[in-house]
Amino acid sequence: MSATIDPITRSVVQHRLSSIVAEMGEAMLRTSYSQILNSSRDFSLAICDTKGRLIAQADHIPVHVGALPWAARAIEERFSNFKPGDVLLLNDPYHGGSHLPDLTAFVPVFDGERRMYWAIVRAHQSDIGGATHGGYNPTASEIYQEGLRVPPIFLYEAGKLRDDILDMLALNVRNSRDFRGDLAAMVGAARLGERRLLRLFDEFGGATVERAVDAILDAAEQQTRAVVSTWKDGVFHGEAFLDDDGSGGRENIRISAKVTKRGGEVEVDLSDSDPQSTRFVNSSHANMQAAVAMAFAYLIDPDIPKNDGCLRALKVIAKQGTIVWADPGRPVTLCTSHPSNEIVEAIVKALSASCPERAMAGWSRRFRIAIQGEDPRTGRNFIWHMFQARPGGGASSQGDGWSSIGEWHTVGGIKFGSLEVAEVRFPLHFRHHEFLADSGGDGKHRGGLGVALDLVMETQTVALANTAGEGTRHRATGMLGGSDGEPHRYRLISEGREPRVLRTKEVGIEIHPGDWFEIRSSGGGGWGDPAERSQAARARDAEQGLVSDNTTKAGA
Amino acid sequence: MYTIGVDVGGTYTDLVAIDERGHTIFAKSPSTPADQSIGVMAGLEELARRLGLSRADMLAAATRLVHGTTVATNALLERKGAKVALVTTEGHRDIIEMREGLKDNRYDLRSPPPEPLVPRERRLTVRERIKANGDVLIPLDEVSANEVIAAIRASGAQSVAICFLHAYRNPAHEIAMAERIARELPDVNVSRSSDVLPQILEFERFSTTVVNAYVAPPVRRYLTSLEARLREAGLKSSVFIILSHGGMAPIEEAARLAAGTVLSGPAGGISGCQRCAELLGIPDLVPFDMGGTSTDISLISDGRAALSAAGALAGQRIALRSLDITSIAAGGGSIADVDAGGTFHVGPESAGSVPGPACYGNGGTDVAVTDANVVLGYLDADAFMGGQRPLDRAASDAAMDRLAAKLGLSRDAAAAGVYRMINLKMADGIRLTTLRRGVDPRRFTLLSFGGAAGLHCVEVARELEIKRIVVPTAASVLSAWGMLTSDLRYEVSRTYLDSGKRIQSSEVRALFAELEAQAAGRLRSWFDGPMTIQRSAEMRYGEQIFEIDVPLDGLDMDDPALAARIEERFHCRHEDLYTYASPDQEVVFVNARVAAVGAVTRGNDDVKPAPATAPPQPKSKRKAFFGAWREVPVYAMDRLAPSHTLEGPAIVEAETTTVVLNDGDRARVNELGWLDIRLG
Repeated sequence: MSATIDPITRSVVQHRLSSIVAEMGEAMLRTSYSQILNSSRDFSLAICDTKGRLIAQADHIPVHVGALPWAARAIEERFSNFKPGDVLLLNDPYHGGSHLPDLTAFVPVFDGERRMYWAIVRAHQSDIGGATHGGYNPTASEIYQEGLRVPPIFLYEAGKLRDDILDMLALNVRNSRDFRGDLAAMVGAARLGERRLLRLFDEFGGATVERAVDAILDAAEQQTRAVVSTWKDGVFHGEAFLDDDGSGGRENIRISAKVTKRGGEVEVDLSDSDPQSTRFVNSSHANMQAAVAMAFAYLIDPDIPKNDGCLRALKVIAKQGTIVWADPGRPVTLCTSHPSNEIVEAIVKALSASCPERAMAGWSRRFRIAIQGEDPRTGRNFIWHMFQARPGGGASSQGDGWSSIGEWHTVGGIKFGSLEVAEVRFPLHFRHHEFLADSGGDGKHRGGLGVALDLVMETQTVALANTAGEGTRHRATGMLGGSDGEPHRYRLISEGREPRVLRTKEVGIEIHPGDWFEIRSSGGGGWGDPAERSQAARARDAEQGLVSDNTTKAGA
Repeated sequence: MYTIGVDVGGTYTDLVAIDERGHTIFAKSPSTPADQSIGVMAGLEELARRLGLSRADMLAAATRLVHGTTVATNALLERKGAKVALVTTEGHRDIIEMREGLKDNRYDLRSPPPEPLVPRERRLTVRERIKANGDVLIPLDEVSANEVIAAIRASGAQSVAICFLHAYRNPAHEIAMAERIARELPDVNVSRSSDVLPQILEFERFSTTVVNAYVAPPVRRYLTSLEARLREAGLKSSVFIILSHGGMAPIEEAARLAAGTVLSGPAGGISGCQRCAELLGIPDLVPFDMGGTSTDISLISDGRAALSAAGALAGQRIALRSLDITSIAAGGGSIADVDAGGTFHVGPESAGSVPGPACYGNGGTDVAVTDANVVLGYLDADAFMGGQRPLDRAASDAAMDRLAAKLGLSRDAAAAGVYRMINLKMADGIRLTTLRRGVDPRRFTLLSFGGAAGLHCVEVARELEIKRIVVPTAASVLSAWGMLTSDLRYEVSRTYLDSGKRIQSSEVRALFAELEAQAAGRLRSWFDGPMTIQRSAEMRYGEQIFEIDVPLDGLDMDDPALAARIEERFHCRHEDLYTYASPDQEVVFVNARVAAVGAVTRGNDDVKPAPATAPPQPKSKRKAFFGAWREVPVYAMDRLAPSHTLEGPAIVEAETTTVVLNDGDRARVNELGWLDIRLG
């Protein structure tokens, strides 16, 4: 079929599709309420067809990319009676979702009578109900403690809002006004996508668009296979570890990737990964698929369109009941970061033997802190989430890693914001916030640096902190002879007491007035043999104070 | 008596002179990037020749010379600015390199990070700290200040950026440090953040101050030498520089706030568009300025161009307020090709001016957009640049044949495809730019200017469902022409810190009074004509992060309920922009802004040409491709007169621009002599 579409029409349609998702993203950014959406941009847009094929997506959050087709398929499996003007929602990880905070809205798009596509908006909600504010609950042992579960449901039917459903959803989250605002923004962005797709059908006719889409997907497939074919064939193994699951019982949970590369084809088999956990470090099925797709997307060329075609060269095998694909009912909230990061790292490590020039060294893991307390200047309560002290990125064949940039699953997508604004709005003093020398792994190319943050509390009453994350033991991996980055090291310093090392899954840590946090975030992994690092690069590192122990280390 | 506008572009320096009767003369002269003043002086020579005067006589008779310069722009783009040292607060050395943790291309995990303008070894820290409320937590430490000065001296830096945390709130430490450096290192340029941009948000303030320190020395050097040449050549009047916000300022001020000149040239174009809106009586325009390598897109709404503080250039954040101009990397030089997956692309690679499109005959073999225009018969190869630079049609054909073979299409179909794709890119750029402001482009009129826009404007408009296009006679020199309509402008802003409280009327009133005194005082030192004051506030709801600029003009500053009035304005503005307001939510007042505006006397620029006495006569006919090859009439723009009407398909040629009309499009020549096109 695709042979009959002329290349100009195909390019015009491709261009249109990517500008449609870009416009949807712009609308979302401008109209959403929550900081997590309008500042941290934790949302994604996509167009899928009725078979759940990913047609186009906007490059926002890589871990959403491969997940949305599964969500579209879940909607298709549950219902068939769609009408123009419908809006559907879901978030449940056991009904096509990734984890509960990621609520997804779907608008069906019709060409006349014929249903063609889904305009899809996924957005991380600032709260989704459940036992803890914001959804991350290290103590949850079942999904019910993590928040409100939404299977595929209709929010609008043929253009008519079901207020009763909306009221029920809004009642179950902590900040219903923001929730309603964000949901309105999501629906608005999806409808904008619908409107622009309808114009595309008007101009070319649905049948031509469909043929163009087939050709676009085929082209991405061809481009991807052409890249993959240049890699070395073979069966390769890689593994990565979670530090622990927070239960106190399990440590060093292994994610194992057996990757078979043959011709233009890559098969990733995660079946040998450790069994599932009783805590929130499990992955849902869709999230596991997305993590594998994310690793693959990082290794092919950045400019290949990320759509169904480019993922056709990738086959995923996994076993239910393992850490990467939990049984229904297990908690999973941490999964978009962990074990996503470890899945990516295991795959990249495996393929480093097949495409060493493409395999980047490890990016860091996520270690969050949220503090709740009273601001003595206003007497009001505050909740503050730490985005500062971004960790380092991995080095690659092309150069050193980025410093203060993020984790495998965010890769420079989270803005940490202004320290001045934070000091104005919260009782905090950022005494020191600079690159952390020596934190990046050594190598021909050095890993990006983490950050040293000394954060002094200016509270006058006891405040409480929660943590959620990984990476105090297992480090961003070095690649092809490069060294690992330094792990995260967070401590709470109180006058007259021993410094307290913070673990990654704690609740209710007491913080006394005048206490300070000594945050040392992790560095990225190094790439290639340190002996090959040039004297000039080492001299620059020393001159800039990025590495304290300078040229004497070369070749040692 | 003349007013003279001079705009230095990448390829050409454009000049415009308007006399007191409103007669307008244009000239173009090649730019001289190594020393722009050479091209400027040569251009003035050419302008004088066209006026039938000597250059000295013309300059002596000038009442004002307004200049748009790209010295700061080029210094940034080519990384040829001054060697800068950054002096900052102890413990916070890496703010400019952290970029708030952001990275652009999400799927490119292999490219290494960009080099910051100031490398880490020249980012020097002083022991000092101001708190969020302006109190001094750690006094400026003498010993470390002296060590830093020694380090600056040792580094050989020619320019210093002083950036301390919370200096927008209390600049005492920055001022003390600046005085010390001026005393110890008198030859070093000093920019301090509390002077350049006294606003909260350290990354934006620091980055802007660093850019300022980086470009100030070359800008000052250039402007000083240009002024000396102009004086020597006989100029008696003032010289003003167009700033990125569209107002103009004397040379010393432009050199002080050199980071505010990075959009000097395009800003002239926007001033020109605002004047067009006025002359046409059309308040809502989309300026479409398509050149060789890039296309500038902006928006005139209600007769005014929006200002924005969200700018960046060459990866450097510049948070000074400037006209909101989006530049997309596509233009006449964009290259068309087919990638490994068989997908057809136009751009972002550009043939530039060397080798340029295949038809330039400089050895370029790739198809550029200009080649498609030649193949399709839209551009007359022999008449390009008024015949001064004929194009090689055979080279365009040969390059197009190679592309057509890869696509499995005929030469004509391939050329039409290139033409279509570039139009689509332009339309996308405009759509995203307008959407970002919550504006639907369909109700706007497209204003087409810049060398290449006329070839594409009807198809770009059609793509956007825009129905009307205007092409002014000054289309190819609109920036230089627009500069002559600019006013003098001095802007100041300051952060208002409420730290959780509601806005207080008395505090806001005092803040504005202080800023007004400062702005008016500064403007008075350059100018003794009529002055107006414009006030605005940047505000947002508590949980939002994007502030919106709320104009406060017409508000009685003595109103006892001033704070409530300001909040009302904000809610209305928010509703205008984003369709809703939340009157029960906390409103945060972030920055106060004041502009002192000095209105200059303007010559007539709306002289109306004589109306037509006979129907328009084509100067020739030629074959051009509109789905099929058609023989179409070609008109000379300078032989058209008001009330002439042209039916598409047709081609209108001026010395430096060509306008293409398609089937059903109809152009009327309005009373200004401009083309007013309605789409079929």
